[in-house]
Amino acid sequence: MPSKGIDFANLSLMDALDLAILVEDEALVRYEDFAAQMDQHRTPDAAKFFRYMAENEAKHGEQLAVRRAELFGSAPPTVSRALIFDIEAPDFDAARAFMSPRQAMQAALASEVKAHAFFVAALPVLKNAEVKALFEELRDEEILHQDLVKVELAKLPPDSGLSDDDFVDEPAAQ
Amino acid sequence: MSATCEFQAKDYKSDLKPIWCPGCGDFSVVQGIYRALAAIGRPPHEIAFVSGIGCSSRIPGYTTAYGFNTIHGRALPIAQGIKLANPDLLVLAAGGDGDGFSIGGGHIAHLVRRNIDITYIVMDNQIYGLTKGQLSPTSQKGRVTCTSRFGSLEQPVNPLLYMLAYGAGFVAQASPTDLVGMAAIIEEAIRFPGFSFVNIQSPCVTYGEEAQQIKGLKAISESLVALGHNPADRLAAMDLAQHYGEKMHLGVFYRNPEPAPTYDGLVRERQALLSKDALPKERILDLFIKK
Ligand SMILES: Cc1ncc(C[n+]2csc(CCOP(=O)(O)OP(=O)(O)O)c2C)c(N)n1
Ligand code: SF4
Ligand SMILES: [Mg+2]
Repeated sequence: MPSKGIDFANLSLMDALDLAILVEDEALVRYEDFAAQMDQHRTPDAAKFFRYMAENEAKHGEQLAVRRAELFGSAPPTVSRALIFDIEAPDFDAARAFMSPRQAMQAALASEVKAHAFFVAALPVLKNAEVKALFEELRDEEILHQDLVKVELAKLPPDSGLSDDDFVDEPAAQ
Repeated sequence: MSATCEFQAKDYKSDLKPIWCPGCGDFSVVQGIYRALAAIGRPPHEIAFVSGIGCSSRIPGYTTAYGFNTIHGRALPIAQGIKLANPDLLVLAAGGDGDGFSIGGGHIAHLVRRNIDITYIVMDNQIYGLTKGQLSPTSQKGRVTCTSRFGSLEQPVNPLLYMLAYGAGFVAQASPTDLVGMAAIIEEAIRFPGFSFVNIQSPCVTYGEEAQQIKGLKAISESLVALGHNPADRLAAMDLAQHYGEKMHLGVFYRNPEPAPTYDGLVRERQALLSKDALPKERILDLFIKK
């Protein structure tokens, strides 16, 4: 499981919400990084899509933050970023120079699948009924997110047929 | 030292936009460094970050620390000079496998034996990335590159074993497959009083081999903690380090339980001892003139 020492069995609702917010935030930052990488390499369409994903993650994070504030006010969090890694964020190497929008969407789809698997794997270990309900909700949301990306994918014209290798110089001895 | 206010990872991120290929493993390394520095909490102006030449050696520019992108293979001697000139600085050195183990390989033994208190981070991608994919000293035997068209005939060097054999007090390995672990290892390396080394398997997505990309690395990674390895046991560390290239052990191989005195510390002591008899600067040449 891509997490470090989360005590799922004893997770409180507040901690679960805080972790969910961190998961969204981690994905948001990674998508922003990917968008910046695409800008840097003059790949505006992929950058635009990664920004769209970053905005979505920000929206989900804000919704969770509102719920957390309603339920627990400003109680200081007891979980930290160090407990999670790459749950909804795409892998560092999922970005590529000159990605087509289709490749960018496929990378995002793969991370939504990964996030879904995380919640599915955690569910049997949870004991707290409220946390279980939250994780079930988050698991189902990942399916909705996957559908959103699939809708965007369906709108695309066919790819050019160029592969990554078409953009990489043949290495030359220096 | 003025580590009174709290720093966050973003405080160590500069405005310079990395020009690494999208997906390059070095993006994760810089994130790991931001997090480790935030955990240490030293303000950026108290940190000097030195590198050689290579894609990975661009890393100091992406931090808010004082950076020095030096010359190929010379990060370590320059880092040593900085540490001796101003021992209060937190000094980091970084670079690639080519920079560190090929052209710069001769420097390692001397920094290690002097035990200069710096942290050396190598982004090991088994290739010369910047110059477009030539054989590096850590490339596997048989590797086909533009300088080994029919496959490399050479055995790669083993950076972990190198460092352990030279007597480094802290030797560890990390990878972008575990950013949290990477940040913790870099933090621990910085906190170690003496020369510390972190080898980071950082994939080159453009010229690197498929097996050395994140998926491939995940498949061969094993946590040293999960293996029950005792990092105080140098011989056990050497035994595990022999698997470099086949398995990817993540964590601390060796941490000297009784760290040796550092050269920079000894120099300070000597300076304190002799400074009362020292000549004023304007008479320093008298030392070289026969009376
Ligand atoms: C004295 C000298 N020799 C050779 C070079 C050319 N050169 C620049 S970077 C490099 C190797 C880069 O490989 P590595 O250190 O592994 O870094 P990476 O780009 O893979 O991160 C070489 C040979 C140089 N700049 N200076
Ligand atoms: S050539 Fe390789 S090492 Fe250099 S920036 Fe690109 S992916 Fe990274
Ligand atoms: Mg290299």
